Amino acid sequence: MDTPNDLADSAVSVPKPSMAVRLIRGIGWTSITVGVLILGFVVQQLFVTDILAQREQTALGEAAEEYFDSAVVEDVEVVPGFGIVEPGGNPPPIEPGQSSMILRREASPELGTAFATIRIPKLEKLTEGWTIVEGVRRADLTTGAGHMPATALPGQPGNAVISGHRTTYGAPFHNLDELVAGDRIEVDTAIGTHVYEVRERIVVKPTALWVTDPRPGAWLTLTTCHPKWAASERLIVFAELIEGPNAEVIKAIS
Amino acid sequence: MLKRMFNSLPGPTPVRIALGVAIAAVALVALFFFYDWLGQTYLDTGGTIG
Repeated sequence: MDTPNDLADSAVSVPKPSMAVRLIRGIGWTSITVGVLILGFVVQQLFVTDILAQREQTALGEAAEEYFDSAVVEDVEVVPGFGIVEPGGNPPPIEPGQSSMILRREASPELGTAFATIRIPKLEKLTEGWTIVEGVRRADLTTGAGHMPATALPGQPGNAVISGHRTTYGAPFHNLDELVAGDRIEVDTAIGTHVYEVRERIVVKPTALWVTDPRPGAWLTLTTCHPKWAASERLIVFAELIEGPNAEVIKAIS
Repeated sequence: MLKRMFNSLPGPTPVRIALGVAIAAVALVALFFFYDWLGQTYLDTGGTIG
């Protein structure tokens, strides 16, 4: 029978793994760890962000409906050839045969507010609509598409710029590259539904700020990352307002 | 390695388990935010311009 000393001797006598074995074991564990971390990243990007965005969209959809009822909307006078007559401002003399028109103007929402919905019938992901929030901060874009502050609101004269994720966070603009000239884009705001028609699709550098410049008429500019799964460029879609509560007025003053 | 890390935690086993779970939870949350930053910086920024 083994005595405690014999057992201790036999335990000590277990040979230590050689350097080669330890190296292979180390490489194996490192590979497994790196693999698990990469898998976790893929799952987080593909599925977790999607689930989070879908949940936010449900809440934002209801918030946008409430906003439509509470938004500050005013009717301002517009004189063709002169432009908008600001409330309290001096109206220009109206020539015989000329008449003023009414533009429905919406006050800018606060940052983070859900204030509009975009629908693109051609794109499966956007046939039901995706809520737009005010702002293009990271936090804004993880919840919905984001309207760039200081650009025109959808349905107003100028250039309304809206950014959205292409591959993560619900990927509302995933297939924006399928849009061609003539495709319709609809945007619901507190003053009604504005219908735009795609005019042009281009790819630019992320620093191409000129795409946000104001334009004569009423334009919608959609921006997203390009190519898919990379942030090295931007895909831009320009669309022009063709129908809506302000379409005729804007056409008359442009 | 995990066993060694667990054994190096202070206190009796129940305390070690609680500490281990807390550290794992904090590490997972930190990993989530790191993944989020990585994704929004290099894969998909949300299409912002400028």
